[in-house]
Amino acid sequence: MKIGFFGRLRDALGDEREVPVESGETVAHLRSRLAGLHPGAAHDLLSPGVRACVGDEMVGEDFLLAGQDRVEFLPPLSGG
Amino acid sequence: MTVRLADEAISAERELAEFMAGLAGEGAVVSFLGIARARTPKGETVERLVLEHHPRLTARSLDEIAAAALGRFGIASLRIVHRRGAVPPGEPIVFVAAAAAHRRAAFEAVDYMMDRLKTDAVFWKREDTPEGSRWVEPREDDHEARARWIEAPCPE
Repeated sequence: MKIGFFGRLRDALGDEREVPVESGETVAHLRSRLAGLHPGAAHDLLSPGVRACVGDEMVGEDFLLAGQDRVEFLPPLSGG
Repeated sequence: MTVRLADEAISAERELAEFMAGLAGEGAVVSFLGIARARTPKGETVERLVLEHHPRLTARSLDEIAAAALGRFGIASLRIVHRRGAVPPGEPIVFVAAAAAHRRAAFEAVDYMMDRLKTDAVFWKREDTPEGSRWVEPREDDHEARARWIEAPCPE
């Protein structure tokens, strides 16, 4: 599965990474796993202000990622 | 209703002229221009402001704000033009205009659109200074300004 990053997360992790999704994995679990793999970005990855987005819609922490092609992590908006 | 993401510098004169060319007898036009500041709140020199956007959600958020303004105020037309990418200090970030039969609706619609753009438009802002780059955090006063427009039911 592709994982897209924006804002400060993109600085730390790049535009996109390919990470195999685990069976039954939720957004919350993926966050923890990514935070473990990238300790420098852990604070931002685990911040409740960072929202997950699938198919251009915001999803909750319990959202099951199986079968999805891509998830994006969006930091808090800082306005126009 | 014109809503556009701009990669190049916004010409306020051209945007206003084009907007006015589409009027149909309205008596009031209000326009607002937001400019990239030369200094951070801490007084550091800003070399450039970078507006990162999402390939679909950003345009969708601008469209939604425009549609809400059109439905909420008695305006005849509106225009939102928003920069993306790198903006040097002194250059416009956003041009917003509304036209109405009378001035009050046009003022309110532009005020509303700007408050919404500051909180709900999908952008991530970074200030590049000689000391380094810093992602801009959401501002509490912007959210307070946004909250002015939330329509709560009247208490019984």
